Amino acid sequence: MTRYKKQDPEMTRRRFVNAAMGGAAAVGTLGLVSALGGAKPVLRITPDKAPPRAGDILVHATAAKEGQIIRPSEITDRVIQAWPMGKDQDGNDVIRKAEPNNLVGVQRFRKDSFKVPGEGEHVELKLEGIAEDGIVVYSNKCTHAGCSPENYAKDTSKLFCSCHSGLYDPLQGCKVIGGPPPRAMPQLPIKVEGDRLVVTETFVSAPFGFLNNLDWETYLQRVKEILG
Amino acid sequence: MNQWLDDRLHISRLNDKFLRKAFPVHHSFFLGEITLFSLIVLIITGILLALSYEPSNSPVVNSFDPGTRAEPNMIPAAYHSALKINAMPFGDMLRRIHHWMANIMVAAAVIHMMRVYFTGAFKKPREINWWIGMLLLIFAALTAVTGYILPYDNYAYNTVSVIYAIVKSVPWVGDWLAQAAFAGRFPGEGIIPRIYGYHIMLLPGILLALTGAHMLIMIKQKHTQPQYAKRIAYKKIVGVPLSTQQTPIMLLLVLLFTGLVVLFSAFIPVHPIEHYGPPSAQPISGIKPDWYLLWVFGALAIIPGFELEVLGGIISAEFVGAMVFPGLIIGAMFAVPMLDRAKDNQYYAENPTNHPVRLAAGVAFMAMMIVLSVAGYKVELVQSGLLPEASANTILWILTIGVPLVSYFATLGIVRGIRALREADERDALAHAHADD
Ligand code: FES
Repeated sequence: MTRYKKQDPEMTRRRFVNAAMGGAAAVGTLGLVSALGGAKPVLRITPDKAPPRAGDILVHATAAKEGQIIRPSEITDRVIQAWPMGKDQDGNDVIRKAEPNNLVGVQRFRKDSFKVPGEGEHVELKLEGIAEDGIVVYSNKCTHAGCSPENYAKDTSKLFCSCHSGLYDPLQGCKVIGGPPPRAMPQLPIKVEGDRLVVTETFVSAPFGFLNNLDWETYLQRVKEILG
Repeated sequence: MNQWLDDRLHISRLNDKFLRKAFPVHHSFFLGEITLFSLIVLIITGILLALSYEPSNSPVVNSFDPGTRAEPNMIPAAYHSALKINAMPFGDMLRRIHHWMANIMVAAAVIHMMRVYFTGAFKKPREINWWIGMLLLIFAALTAVTGYILPYDNYAYNTVSVIYAIVKSVPWVGDWLAQAAFAGRFPGEGIIPRIYGYHIMLLPGILLALTGAHMLIMIKQKHTQPQYAKRIAYKKIVGVPLSTQQTPIMLLLVLLFTGLVVLFSAFIPVHPIEHYGPPSAQPISGIKPDWYLLWVFGALAIIPGFELEVLGGIISAEFVGAMVFPGLIIGAMFAVPMLDRAKDNQYYAENPTNHPVRLAAGVAFMAMMIVLSVAGYKVELVQSGLLPEASANTILWILTIGVPLVSYFATLGIVRGIRALREADERDALAHAHADD
């Protein structure tokens, strides 16, 4: 029995090293986390990235004719790819193509061939968003992985995504009728004004690039705050 | 001079420890070396490419086709610099060498792993090196994928948009993750600088560090010895020393296969960026990942679409097909050394036919990978009429499960059959030997 508690220098040194390592690890983790925090930039919305808005005009998206205004007369049941074109702060025209999910497809069908999907189908088709002469516009980004569907060779009234064979029916709100896409490609309501197609409101539900309608609506809210 | 260096750096110790390292004499042991040499050539060609590459996706005027003053032809700077590299003397060739070398590196690594698996070289004490090897494979694939994006042509653009979508599909944190990884919502202004950083700094750094660890552990633990070593000198290291006997063999090998790759690059074009053009709204139909990721693509092609809400997060087919499923496969590969319960250290490479279950499992695994890769061509198969449209998924699913099962039992059967014959032969020989007495 000693009266003095034996001081073990090895132990104190070990404890010191442990504490030092713990401290270093904590500081390091904090540093890493803050550095990672900087990895995600803040959301900056510019007019060329904004989603389609009421008043936008549809212009050609294919490289050869990019930027040319789409005339109702050139529209058939063959899908034409288009961008919405709006105005920036100074009133200049901007094509909103910096946001690739803004790509839309324009088609024309007989007005009476459309069929409004039922309640339980989770698909929206706004008949008033279809122009008088049957011109209808949908997002042209497959909700599966973002390819652009084209006319289906076996039935041109359908849209076929060749990436993983997704199949959509534009006559029924572009609902999925085959393949892996999880949701319909949403409609972009438009009207014909003179010789141009004018957007009347943004996509009726979440386009590709958004997880669900909630995600899409929060995004629209943010855009509104930023762009006014 | 040797003396002078030795006094300072103790070359003689280095000599004893490293330069005399014995290399087993068997061609299958060259696969790892080929992987290493490809990495070195990749780094050299990569540095040369980086000297002329402009890591930016801001639009610049295309100097090859400037358009008019009113309507200049704008393309991303990265794509423009890739066009310029192609126009340099041997520039296109440099890109091709880099590309082919990357493919060869992954191929050699995969075959090297197969060698290690089938001969049981992953067993104690080499489990750690199996795991490091797995990490190397994963990071090699990531490096390759980021490399695909850098030319920023339409192909790259489509590829990165799919990758972005896959990252985003992670439940709960996907959105944050995708934006952090790709510098904002796709395609942000910072996407190319970000991926350039990954491709030339972060990932090669990780690859080099892991390679260093892989080699040091290998030197420390020594190679597994091929079977002949057992007969020559039991429990002794047999082989030729690195210096000077193995070195000329290595040099010969590296020259031979680099020459082969250069020949490839001279005649087989890869990734024609002029053909794909700058990023555009026009997607490329039939776009496919590289062969070593085709199985993930195939899994995505045949998984039915669904979305499941769990506690506010969305579990989608995309997530299950491109993250969970490959995660399971990779996890199974990681677990391989843990399936072996042997307490003793493994000295000798085993004859695969002496371990029929392991052999059969490996064959079944590869069969499944091949079937899934074929499933990646589902659209083409349907369009060419080889698969009926309506039941293509069902058929491919049945094949995905059935072919591995069949190959598993077939391998077992064949191995058992060979063994039975061999044993019968031995019995025969024995009986005759007795009869001769
Ligand atoms: S991207 Fe359209 S089906 Fe997969």
